[in-house]
Amino acid sequence: MKFVSRHCLWLAFASAIAVMALSGAPAQADDVIKIGAPLALTGPLAVESKKQEVVWNMWVAKVNASGGINVGGKKMNVKLVEYDYQSDGQRAAQLAEKLITDDKVNFLFAPFGSGHTKIVASVAERYQMPLIACSSSAETVYNQGFKYLFGLLAANGASNAIIVKYIKTKAPSIKSIAIYGRDDVFPKSMASGVAEAAKAAGLNVAYNNYYPVGTIDHSSGLSAIKAAKPDWIYVTGYTSDLILIRKQMSDLGVTAPVVTMVAGPAYKEYTDALGNLANGITSWTWWHPAVNYQGVGVWPTTQSFVKDFVAKEHVEPDYIHASCAAAGVILANAIERAGTLDHQKVRDALASTNITTFYGPIKYAANGLNEAGSIPIIQIQNKQIKVLYPDGVKNADLELMK
Amino acid sequence: MMRLRCSVFAVWILALASTPLWGDNYIVHLAITIAMYSTLAISWNFIGGFAGYPSFATSAFFGLGCYVGALTQRAGLPVSAAWLCATAGVGIFAGLFGLIILRLRGHYFAIASFGLVEVLRLVISSSDSLTGGGDGLNVPLFHGGPDFVARIFLAVMVGIMVIAFAVSILVDRSRLGFGLRCIEQNEDAADMVGIDTTRYKIVAFVLSAMFCGTVGGAYASWTGYIDPTDAFDAIMTIKTPVMCMLGGVGTVLGPVAGSASFLLLEEFFWSHFLAYNRAILGAVIVIIIFFLPGGLLGIADGKGPRASFRRSLGRWLKGGPVAVP
Repeated sequence: MKFVSRHCLWLAFASAIAVMALSGAPAQADDVIKIGAPLALTGPLAVESKKQEVVWNMWVAKVNASGGINVGGKKMNVKLVEYDYQSDGQRAAQLAEKLITDDKVNFLFAPFGSGHTKIVASVAERYQMPLIACSSSAETVYNQGFKYLFGLLAANGASNAIIVKYIKTKAPSIKSIAIYGRDDVFPKSMASGVAEAAKAAGLNVAYNNYYPVGTIDHSSGLSAIKAAKPDWIYVTGYTSDLILIRKQMSDLGVTAPVVTMVAGPAYKEYTDALGNLANGITSWTWWHPAVNYQGVGVWPTTQSFVKDFVAKEHVEPDYIHASCAAAGVILANAIERAGTLDHQKVRDALASTNITTFYGPIKYAANGLNEAGSIPIIQIQNKQIKVLYPDGVKNADLELMK
Repeated sequence: MMRLRCSVFAVWILALASTPLWGDNYIVHLAITIAMYSTLAISWNFIGGFAGYPSFATSAFFGLGCYVGALTQRAGLPVSAAWLCATAGVGIFAGLFGLIILRLRGHYFAIASFGLVEVLRLVISSSDSLTGGGDGLNVPLFHGGPDFVARIFLAVMVGIMVIAFAVSILVDRSRLGFGLRCIEQNEDAADMVGIDTTRYKIVAFVLSAMFCGTVGGAYASWTGYIDPTDAFDAIMTIKTPVMCMLGGVGTVLGPVAGSASFLLLEEFFWSHFLAYNRAILGAVIVIIIFFLPGGLLGIADGKGPRASFRRSLGRWLKGGPVAVP
């Protein structure tokens, strides 16, 4: 008898968990627009993903405080449904499917980075669910024929020629470049793109190699670069890679007049972690608080967004903060123009977007890339981010490193 | 006992296969994931459970299956042929690799098998021209709506799981299974009494690889995009043995029970505790394995949690190993 009852207890426990895991679909409210957000709150992309979470919640609070989004004459509040996909691609796909079918969200925000955006985009495409991607700019994400994917960052392809030209003009002594890229969707496309642009501009590519995702010892690559004695070192990766590489460069005494790292120096964490070692590093950013745009949405000017952000987070926003907040603005704008939550109509409204936001101008090419975006060149000087290019927003000149 | 186990398994398969009838696509997605991990766990059980060789090569085989499947499909082979290629390719690879690696035992074998995952990830990642390197590979997406695609892949994954389970029963009842159990208990003694240990181990290793390859191939077609970090996932390679331990190592039904309960627990914790889901899941696994060293099936065999706990505690107080099945 005792044995049987113990059995029953365990069975009951197991089935209770099974039921709880399988059920739990929240009650559906008709007057709320639900936006699904698979986030990498844990794992290697946690730092970047938390930025998305912060600004999306800021945007939701701001929209709801202003009365909501006008959908065909009816004001509707916004709700963010977020899950942690643990920086794991399989789980990102699973969560996207859960958000669409179980939580029945109306729209999706894409996770951080080009690789996971691509995974979520293929799920969204299957369900014909509009997906706004605020942190992927690799063309390989947008050349898959996805019709429901819309990005914010300007494509990185054209930008490579711009930085090569800029550096050549400002520092004519530079003749050779060494390129060291992370073997991952976005950093790889940046590295291969700059290699082509450098060759086209007549620079000697003295070294050009990729390091695998997760590398922590860069000494062999950096030693080879040191031996090649390049005038310009161009490294791609994400923040943690670049901090590590910068430190190891200093340990091994690898130097060059120009050192460019993408994408990390645009984030405050980079300078915080490196201190004086960050000085002199050049990089890209897709947005900078110094720009000044007036536009539609809950933040009418760049300054109003920066002010709200600083009040909440006590630091200056970087481009991921801005582009992800702008993702909300663009979606709200498209919903208001469509006057409905119908996926197809909102998708069409997104495709015909031609607006200016606090983040900058937004206009979509047929592949869903924002063709109106620009990519300023920056340099860290005295632990501050200075804009070198374009001339309209520049506040410093290129300084060569010793 | 065997008949009871088979009927429990049949009921579970029916429950998984019928999800499109009563659940939405999220439930179906979960069922596909459960079937996929069950196959991985059943496969691991051949080498890790029956033969007692702690293999961490699961994601190596899975990832290789992903890439063989994706590449053959991109080369124009029909989907089912691509999956067969993945199965055969991974099986042959495991046979050749097993010849070398199965000379190692215990910790050394564990480390070498884990190394295989990393080495394959790096090789695939740097073979740019063939595999696309870090850019990953796009696999042609299945045509048809989401419901149709979900049903197809549910049928495929559950089908692979049933085949793997059937093979597992055959092995369990055959001379091979007996030999593997002898190896698990004492390899030298098994060798002495005339068991061709090398051959047996290689067969077990190949069996543990083949179905991982099939599942990998099917997974690649299902998601439509693979890259080296996702295909050769270190977490997956650790999850699989944990699932087997949770269910009951070396038993036929253990891997199935373990992977189902692990995934349902995982699903429950992350959907209810956004911030601490991993910590809670880790604690639960430690507790279950500590109190139930024989796995969940240990309860069914009459080794109740209380008795197991008392035994574990006793061993711990004496300073001996705690979680000995």
